[in-house]
Amino acid sequence: MEIAGALRTAREMGLVACTRCTRVWPGGTARCGRCGHRLHSREPKALQRVWAWWAVGLIAYLPANLWPMLETRTLVLSQESTIVGGAVDLARHGNWGIALVILVASVAIPVGKFLAIASLALGVRGGSALPRHRRQQLYEVVEYIGRWSMIDVFVVAILASLVQLGAVAQVSPGPASLFFALSVIFTMLSAQAFDSRLIWDEDPAPLAPPLPEGRPA
Amino acid sequence: MTEMPPETPVEPARKSLLERLSIVWVIPAAALVIALGVAWNSYAERGPLLELSFQTASGIRAGETELRYRDVTVGLVESVAFTQGLGQVLVGVRLDRDVAEYVDDDAQFWVVRPEVTPQGVSGLETVLSGTFIEGIWDETPEGFIARHAAEAQAPLNREGRPGLTLRLRAAGMASLTEEAPIIYRGIEVGRIGRAEVSPDGSTVEARAIVFAPHDRMISSATRFWDTSGFRFSLGPGGARLDFDSIASLVSGGITFRTVVSGGAPVSANALFTVYPDEAAARASVFGAETGETLVLTAIFEENVGGLAVDAPVDLGGLRVGRVTALTGIVDAERFGDDRVRLAATLAIQPGQLGLEDGAGPEAALAYLESRVAEGLRARLVTASLLTGGLKVELVEVANAAPATLETDAVPNPVIPTAPADIADVAATAEGLYNRINALPIEQVMDSAIAALDNVARLTGSEDIRAVPGEVRALLGEARGLVGSEDTQALPARLSAAVGELETLVARLNESDTAGRLTAALDAAAEAAAGVDTALAGVPGLVDRLNGIAANAETVPLDELAGRLSALLDAADRLIDTDAARALPADLSAALEELRAVLAELREGGVVENANATLASARSAADDISAAAQDLPALLARARAVLDQAAATIRGYDASRGVGRDLGPAIREVERAARAVSALARTLERNPNSILFGR
Repeated sequence: MEIAGALRTAREMGLVACTRCTRVWPGGTARCGRCGHRLHSREPKALQRVWAWWAVGLIAYLPANLWPMLETRTLVLSQESTIVGGAVDLARHGNWGIALVILVASVAIPVGKFLAIASLALGVRGGSALPRHRRQQLYEVVEYIGRWSMIDVFVVAILASLVQLGAVAQVSPGPASLFFALSVIFTMLSAQAFDSRLIWDEDPAPLAPPLPEGRPA
Repeated sequence: MTEMPPETPVEPARKSLLERLSIVWVIPAAALVIALGVAWNSYAERGPLLELSFQTASGIRAGETELRYRDVTVGLVESVAFTQGLGQVLVGVRLDRDVAEYVDDDAQFWVVRPEVTPQGVSGLETVLSGTFIEGIWDETPEGFIARHAAEAQAPLNREGRPGLTLRLRAAGMASLTEEAPIIYRGIEVGRIGRAEVSPDGSTVEARAIVFAPHDRMISSATRFWDTSGFRFSLGPGGARLDFDSIASLVSGGITFRTVVSGGAPVSANALFTVYPDEAAARASVFGAETGETLVLTAIFEENVGGLAVDAPVDLGGLRVGRVTALTGIVDAERFGDDRVRLAATLAIQPGQLGLEDGAGPEAALAYLESRVAEGLRARLVTASLLTGGLKVELVEVANAAPATLETDAVPNPVIPTAPADIADVAATAEGLYNRINALPIEQVMDSAIAALDNVARLTGSEDIRAVPGEVRALLGEARGLVGSEDTQALPARLSAAVGELETLVARLNESDTAGRLTAALDAAAEAAAGVDTALAGVPGLVDRLNGIAANAETVPLDELAGRLSALLDAADRLIDTDAARALPADLSAALEELRAVLAELREGGVVENANATLASARSAADDISAAAQDLPALLARARAVLDQAAATIRGYDASRGVGRDLGPAIREVERAARAVSALARTLERNPNSILFGR
C-alpha cells in the first residue's frame, strides 16, 4: 500500500486541516478562518483521552466479571451466574461450543481490546515492536469489532425480554450486564479517541516544521 | 497553495498540570471514586459472620442457602466447611447487621426441608427454593454470639408464639406421637414435640407446648389423655365407634380437660401424665396418683407370667403403688449367670405409706429402707385365682436373708425380693379337670335317664294322680279333727287333769304313808329283836318249855304256817297284781299322751302353762317313781321280818321246850301277824290305799 517516493503528508508540508470544514490552513493557524473551529494538527490530549476511557472501561469490566450477568429463576432453581461461571458451567455440561462463544465474545475480545488499545497507545509514545502497518491493521480490527462487543448485552436483553414466563421461568439481567455494557462503551470511546495518524507520525523521515505540541517523538 | 503558510506562533513551553490534563480524566476518577465508595459501603454494611454447626449439611450450599427469620431473609450462607476433626459441618452465614444484636444465647437454628407427616406437608416452599436455614430468637437484643449449634429438628415453638411449655409422660398404653397435635374440644391448641425415652427407660417423655391463650386452661387439675386411634364398643346401647378427629385417628393426638375444680396454676415445664383414655384420666384424679412418686426397681428371680403393668403394689394389704414398667435384665456380673430376670419398676406413693402429709420420695425411701432392714421384701403373689394375675406385695418375711435397699443403684433404688408366693392354680385346675374327666358321666346320665323314665311312668299312672286328691281329703279330715270342739277342749281338760295330778302328789307327800309303813316295819323289827333278846334269857326256861311244847302240840301251828304262807301269797299277789304292775305303764302312757297333746298344743296359748304344769307333773311323777321304788324295798323288809319270825318259830319248834314261855311272845306275834294280815287284807281290798294313805 505504501506508495514509494514523493508521498508527503500535510503535516510534513506544514499544513493543518480544519476537522470541521476540511479547509486547509498553514501550520500554526489557531482558528479556522472559515468556520472558526480550533485548529490542531493533532488533537492535543488525544492519548490522555484514550487512557482515560481505557481506565474507565477497565474499572467497569471488573464488576462485569465478578457480579452475576444473568439471574435465572425457574420453578425449582434460582441461579445467578457470572460470565465466566456460566461459561464454565456450560462447558461442564458438554456445551463446549456455546461456552467457547461466550468466552470469546465476553472475555477474549474485551480483554484483547484492552490490550490492543494499550499497546497502540504505548506504541505511539515509546515505539513498538510491531511495524506500523500491523498496528494500523490492529487499530482497524479494534474499531471494527467494537460494534460487536455488545453482543453479550444483546443476548441478555433478548433473553430477559423473551423468557418471562411468570413463576415458571424468569430471566433477568444481572448487574454485570450493565457494567459490561459500560465497559464496552468506554472501550469504544477509548478506541475512538485514538488518532490512528499518530501511528505514522514518528515516521523516521520527519520534515522541517517541528510538531506544534513539542511532543517528544 | 502558492503562498507559504504564516509562521506558527510559538506557544509557551510549559503549561500548568490542569491545562495539560484532559478533562476526560474526570470520568475514570469519578468511576474510581464510585467503585471505591461502593466497595467501602458494602464492606461497612456487612453483618457479622454467624457460624452454625450441623450434623449434616444436606441441601445447604454456599452462596445460595438463606437464613430466614419469620420467613424473611436475614442472611446468606457463605461457606460450608468442617469443624476440627470433621466432627460436624460448620456453616458460615453472613448475617444482616440489623438483626445481629438479637442473635443471642437463646437463638435456635434448624434446616427447613420438605416433610410429609400425618399432619400434612410442611416446608413445601423449599421444594422450589431449595432448603433454607430458619432461625428463631426473641425480641430482646442481648449481644451477638457467633457460634451456635443448630438443632437437628425444628424446635417445638417454631413460630415464636407465646405459650406454655409442658413435659408429658406417657402412662401405660398411652402413646406420644411426635408432632402430634394437642386438641381441645376439636381445636388444635398445642403441639407435642420430640418424644424421648425417659432417663429410667420405663416410659416416654415429650416436650409439648400449649399456645396462648389456651394455656390458661392448664392447671394442676388438668389431665391429658390419648385420643389417637378409635375405640369400638358393643353394649346394650348398640355399637359405638369413638374417635376424636380424623387427624388424630391417623396421627395420634392428645386432649385434656380440667376434670375437677381448684387446680393451681402450673409453671413452665410442669410434668403431666398422659393417660390411655378418658376414663383412666378421670379416675386418676381420685386415685392417689398425685405428687411425686418413689420409683423403685425389684428384680425377681422367678420368671413367671402374669405380672402386668399397672398391677398393684401392696403393703400390708393396702395398695401403695403400682407397677409402671416391666423389663428383663441380664447381668452376668451381678447375678453370676446369664438368666433373664424380671425387673419390675414400682411407683410408690409416699402418701399411701402412712407418712405425714407432704412426705416426699426421700422420706418414703428412708422409711422403706428401715423396713427392709427389718425384713421387708418384695415378692410376687397371686392377685386373682381366676386369671392368674400377679401383684407385688411388700411383706415382712420371717428369717429373711439380710439385705438392704440399694439406694444408690442406677437408675432406681433396688428393693430386695423374696421367693414368690404363687398358688399354682393351673396345676390344681388341671387335676380338677382330670377328675371331672374321669367321672362316669355317661353311666350316670343313663341311670338318670332311666330313673326319669320310671318317674314319668309312675307319675303318669292313675293312682299317683289320685294321690293329691286323697292327701287333700286326709288333710281336710285332719283339719276337721283338729278343729272339732273335743280337740279344742282337750287342753283345758288336760290342764285340769294335771292339776288334779298335782294335788294328788301333794297329798301323797303330805300323808307320808311310806314313812309310816317304814316306822311300822321298824317297830316289827324291833319286836323281833325284842323276841331275840327274850330268847337270850330263855335257855334257862327250856325245860319248862319242853312241857309247854307238849301242850303246844295241840296248838294249830300248821294253820298258823298256812296263814303265814297265805299272807305271803297275798303280799306276793299284791306286788304281782295287774294294777300294781300297770301303774308304771299307765304313768308312761299318760306321759306319752301328755307329750303328744303338748306337741299339738304348742301352737295354742297353753304351752307356757303346760310347760310349767309339766314341770310340776314331772316332779310329781318323780316322786311317784321314788315311792314306787321304795315299795319293793318295803315288801322285802316285810318279808325279812316274817322270815325272822318264821325262823324264830321254827327254833321254837326245834327246841320244843321253849314253848312254855312263848305264850305272850306268840300272842304278840299273832297280834303282829294279824296286823300284817289286816294290812294285807286292806291292801287286797284296796291296793291304792298304800298310795293314798287310807
